[in-house]
Amino acid sequence: MMRPLFVLPLAGFALLLLLFAAGLYTQLSGSRQPDQLPSMLVGQLPPDRPLPGLNAEPPRRLLDASRGDWLLVNFFASWCAPCRAEAPALASLSEKMTIIGIAYKDKPLDTQKFLNQFGNPYRRIGVDLDGKAGLDWAIYGVPESFLLAPDGRVVLRHAGPVDRALLEDIEARLETGR
Amino acid sequence: MIAELGHFALIAAFVLAIAQALVPLLGASQREAGLIAARLMTVGRWLALLSAGLVLAAFAALVISFIRSDFSLALVAAHSHSAKPLIYKISGSWGNHEGSLLLWCVILALFGAIMARERRPEQPLPAHLLPAHLLQARLLQARAIAVQGMIQAAFLAFSLFTSNPFLRLAAPPLEGRGLNPVLQDPGLALHPPMLYLGYVGLSASFAFAVAGLIGGRIDRAWAAAMRPYVTLAWAALTCGIALGSWWAYYELGWGGWWFWDPVENASLMPWLAATALLHSVRVAEQREQLKSWTVLLAILGFSLSLLGTFIVRSGLLTSVHSFASDPARGLFILLLLGLAIGLPLLLFAWRGPQLAARADFPPLSREGALILNNILLVSASVIVLVGTFYPLALELVSGARITVGPPYFAASFNPVMALLVAAMGIGPLLVWRGGWRPRAGLTLLLAGGLALIGTGFFLLSNLLPGLQIGHKISPAGLAGIALMLWLGGSILADIGLRWRAGSWPKGRARRALSGMWLAHFGMVVFLAGALGEGLFGSEKIARLTPGDTVQLAGRLWQFDQVVQTNGPNWTARTARLSVQADPAGPARQMRPQIRFYPASQQSTTEAAIHSSVSGDDYAVLGEGSEERGYILRLYRKPLVGWIWFGSLLMALGGLLALSGRQKLPEAG
Repeated sequence: MMRPLFVLPLAGFALLLLLFAAGLYTQLSGSRQPDQLPSMLVGQLPPDRPLPGLNAEPPRRLLDASRGDWLLVNFFASWCAPCRAEAPALASLSEKMTIIGIAYKDKPLDTQKFLNQFGNPYRRIGVDLDGKAGLDWAIYGVPESFLLAPDGRVVLRHAGPVDRALLEDIEARLETGR
Repeated sequence: MIAELGHFALIAAFVLAIAQALVPLLGASQREAGLIAARLMTVGRWLALLSAGLVLAAFAALVISFIRSDFSLALVAAHSHSAKPLIYKISGSWGNHEGSLLLWCVILALFGAIMARERRPEQPLPAHLLPAHLLQARLLQARAIAVQGMIQAAFLAFSLFTSNPFLRLAAPPLEGRGLNPVLQDPGLALHPPMLYLGYVGLSASFAFAVAGLIGGRIDRAWAAAMRPYVTLAWAALTCGIALGSWWAYYELGWGGWWFWDPVENASLMPWLAATALLHSVRVAEQREQLKSWTVLLAILGFSLSLLGTFIVRSGLLTSVHSFASDPARGLFILLLLGLAIGLPLLLFAWRGPQLAARADFPPLSREGALILNNILLVSASVIVLVGTFYPLALELVSGARITVGPPYFAASFNPVMALLVAAMGIGPLLVWRGGWRPRAGLTLLLAGGLALIGTGFFLLSNLLPGLQIGHKISPAGLAGIALMLWLGGSILADIGLRWRAGSWPKGRARRALSGMWLAHFGMVVFLAGALGEGLFGSEKIARLTPGDTVQLAGRLWQFDQVVQTNGPNWTARTARLSVQADPAGPARQMRPQIRFYPASQQSTTEAAIHSSVSGDDYAVLGEGSEERGYILRLYRKPLVGWIWFGSLLMALGGLLALSGRQKLPEAG
């Protein structure tokens, strides 16, 4: 008497439950931690779409001026809760290297408010109101960061807030230069 | 001593709840046994009442322990402080995980008790002597009480075994560690009980749905029995969400009223499902159609409430509401979720197909409109579900932690809701079994005219600089205004034309109709508030030194100074500001604060808000000093209060419609 349509809710729920169980299991066992992601961009020169500034400055390329240094490109937004969490980590990192911020789908006034509240670690900020730059870089969401080597190529990609592991990784790379 | 009594009452309630889950079911399953079956069902009712009394006693014991600042209780020591005002000592008893879970159990038990009250004179008649419809009503009641008992036993077990509020400390501290200062607020004394009334109220319709599936009998009487609980839970949920949104607006000081945060979404999903249920149960009651769908919605409504709790309690998702979370408890909830949702869905997969009836109405009918309503509401619910859990799924697959945020919801949720509002202007003009109400064409013409003229005005003001109202409105904003006017126009024209034609319904039917109008008009008021705030709001962040003035939306703000002030358990920096709406008028004093709570070493921002019908002036004090100036965030939020007033109208409309529901004929 079972009909597929009537089993559908049960199947959907089973899937959701599986998702929760996996989430909880990995959380309890400590194996789930923000990690570095594979990216098509690794080893490539990243896209450098000209973006307007926070105070409506005309669009310009953000990466050109910093060729020759290690760079962290950080996608963020004021509406994103994990971005608040990574603010202290970015602040400490900004003393050691240049960080470039891209405000993803966020109104400049909101971004400004966010920076006033949580601090501004960015050397330069591009406004990506329509998310085109996000598409160029193929981000999953915000926050997401890309580490660029002095030759301008992407070395690694990190989705989620900048954490201690990433900080240590970046510091090691700054020291060894690789 | 009091705590031990409470602990004992909780254990006794747990044992009784297990009995409540079994005894009436046993009675209902042996209807041949006649007198014994009737007695068992009666015992089941008394078990429900007694267990409710015991849970209530346990909760009272906890509240008394908080009032008396009994720091030998671990919970009181961790969440209270002797210097706290009395009202926050009381609300502190549910401002934490263990206490709020106990509150959840209290409301669950109260709904069990409401179900258990007998409507007809109690006579333990043998089954074969009862008229058929009375017997069916009694069997349904017994099964629903049993299902409610199962849920209650599960939650009491959760409370007793993983989150016991009555545990003592070996070495009691002299002073408590306070309560999260953000939670010391009158809005929060009301918000959780109201929200829980909604969440848990959905357990009653869930119990009726499962009871109906167990008995294999879903008919008009079933829908009629379930409907009051659906309406009550829906109204409470509406108020609870509105209160939470209002609290976030004035207490968190972010200047917004909805953030698409996982915890907010967790309350929105059951609300959307309950709204769909509220409408589909009408079809089941009136026309005996959509029965299996109504059963499914009733199961989903409570399931989504449970999911909501799961999200808040387990700390699975990153949220701004992380007041109390612990992954270890999540495992228990996961188990509970699996049983409480999985088993009914299994039952539904097995029994549901028998309920399917052939649709006997054309698409352009009241039934058709309500189906459209259901499709849209459930789609919206799925959109919120996906937006809430996609980050979790992605994190598991790739390890990335992200949020999708408002851009996702603005692009997906809003269009679905826009369609819903458009349909709301048409649906009530259709009649059961197909066709239009008299004068429906004229009503639509008037509504369309109003929408066109109103939107045209704003479009013109966009184009002509002379007519500027200070804000350029986006196409999406114009569509929102058009839809709001369309819905409002349709309701008002319908009322007006009925009045002119003298075709008011009488008695209960009038209350039912007015309730529907009121609830739908609440949506118009809500939209007016949301659009006013979203499209015409202004804000400014300024660094001000004493004596500075700022212009915002035609208002003159003047900053005088920042002074130190003291409260009962906090110290604060308070800004003295004044705002003047017109140069000749009086200046209004505004006092935004940053409060510091020494007991918990936390600080909160207290926004200064002046509300009126036309909108709010809103000021938040930020960091700064006398020399460098202080950062101040100033807002003008037109019509923002209408958001919550509209929500209240919706809830009141639901209750009014409930009071006007028709009694089914006795020989059902």
